[in-house]
Amino acid sequence: MRVALVRSEVAKILSTRLWWGLLIGAVVYVALSALATALTAGMDPGGGQPGSAPLGEPEAYRAVYASSLFSGTYIFAMILGITSMTGEYRYRTITPTFLATPRRGLVVAAKMVAHLLAGVVYGAVGLLAALVAGGITVAARGASLGLGTDRLWESVRLAVLAVALWTLVGIGIGTLIRNQVAAVLIAVLVTFLVEPLATFLLASIDLDWLVRWLPTNASAAMTSPGSSFVDYLDWWVGALVLAGYAAVAAGLGMLLSVRRDIT
Amino acid sequence: MAERGSRIDVDGLTKRFGAATAVDDLTFSVEPGRVTGFLGPNGAGKTTTLRCLLGLVEPTEGSVRIGGQRYRDLTDPLSRVGAALEAADFHPGRSARDHLRVIALAAEVDRSRVEELLGLVGLADVAGRRVGGFSLGMRQRLALAQALLGDPGVLLLDEPANGLDPAGIVWLRGLLRTLAADGRTVLVSSHVLGEVQQSVDEVVVISHGRLVHQGSLAELSTGPTTVRVRTPSPEALCDALEEATPEPLADGALRFTGVSVRDVGRAAFEAGVELHELTEESSDLESRFLDLTTDGAPR
Repeated sequence: MRVALVRSEVAKILSTRLWWGLLIGAVVYVALSALATALTAGMDPGGGQPGSAPLGEPEAYRAVYASSLFSGTYIFAMILGITSMTGEYRYRTITPTFLATPRRGLVVAAKMVAHLLAGVVYGAVGLLAALVAGGITVAARGASLGLGTDRLWESVRLAVLAVALWTLVGIGIGTLIRNQVAAVLIAVLVTFLVEPLATFLLASIDLDWLVRWLPTNASAAMTSPGSSFVDYLDWWVGALVLAGYAAVAAGLGMLLSVRRDIT
Repeated sequence: MAERGSRIDVDGLTKRFGAATAVDDLTFSVEPGRVTGFLGPNGAGKTTTLRCLLGLVEPTEGSVRIGGQRYRDLTDPLSRVGAALEAADFHPGRSARDHLRVIALAAEVDRSRVEELLGLVGLADVAGRRVGGFSLGMRQRLALAQALLGDPGVLLLDEPANGLDPAGIVWLRGLLRTLAADGRTVLVSSHVLGEVQQSVDEVVVISHGRLVHQGSLAELSTGPTTVRVRTPSPEALCDALEEATPEPLADGALRFTGVSVRDVGRAAFEAGVELHELTEESSDLESRFLDLTTDGAPR
């Protein structure tokens, strides 16, 4: 891997306004999510549903900080990844890109490295938003901030890693589907609609073992282990599965899409 | 100065897109040290040929070589070949400087070269502005800067004069001459003969994906120039110009072949013949070009 190519990809991200537009979206989403989670911690949702853990318990702090940081950031990180490929086709910058680097696979690899870094930055900024919005709300409710909570930082690290892996999934999708609007729409529909539906349906016909391998559940294995009716994978298996989805999509994209003529 | 450019060889190149044949068994070569015009009407297959040369489009048949190598096998391609394909290959939200920097980073070209080229193409003052607000002429200049980034010995320019103002075209002409004088290989495509007429040493003319002419521009034109004359006393003029045979034209004028305007003028003056019109009819290069490229039949 040539460092120069990664630097070029980083420069591409930083030289248009998309990255901070998406980052603002993530920060707002994380802040609202942390605020709502901290406000409702320990409340009884009614109807016999189990309530969330009250502030003071490690589970509550993990939800306020780590889960909010992940759930508010990963879609934006994924879109950043998708557009890094599709934007090149959309604005035809793929021509100068492939002229500078005729070995097209190297370009995709460099994008993956650059966006792994960008994903970590998104996760870190998301954490900051969760700490500020969540922390203020927790303090306003008179509870301790809970920053020394057992295993909180391990969860935070995993959440940041999961966000970074979702940018890779995005690159995989963008490599496979050249059209930007189609790629973003399909990705968002799949993660928000198709996957939850599939999870529900498969679980209800006793195919739980299959459900764990879906991308969203693989990443949930990293960010909210043991908090759902799905029997999640170990966190590191989940991370590998997520990276595997990115690699398979990018590999298929290399075969089916990236090799095609640039006219 | 030593020749820095490489020879371009297109050999039996054919490219089909589905049922449509864009380039049909095309063979020609381009030598370093001169400016070669790559001419043909829109849709003749010029851009497809250039994209094949650059490894962006995979040939259906035949081979394309630059200095004996395929583009994708070149190490450091931008230092060997520079291309300005279309003035549309920019992210509208990225500044001109950042566009060049992104490529310079990938090609490991020094950053100072970016500033140097922005100055050379006259974009230094607007380098920080987003390309989305650029005119076609400014985009052409940016595309040219991009092509020159790696200081390559081979330049492939697709319709570089499009959108340039007259002063820009004069500037471009001078730049191309300088680049070729350095020993570089310069291939410039155009669908307008007049655009390149004054700046090319040699032409490759294609039509419907086939080669119709390769050689000097002079070889393209045929026949001697002619002189058109209008006079109230044609017989007296014909007597004075006995070495030339006139051809009467429908509007009453006469056309002489094989004499210059000066010959006709002097003969008329010496014989005291009154002239109402004396015109040298322009060389028929343009119409010859049209003939070559519209019937599509290879010679």
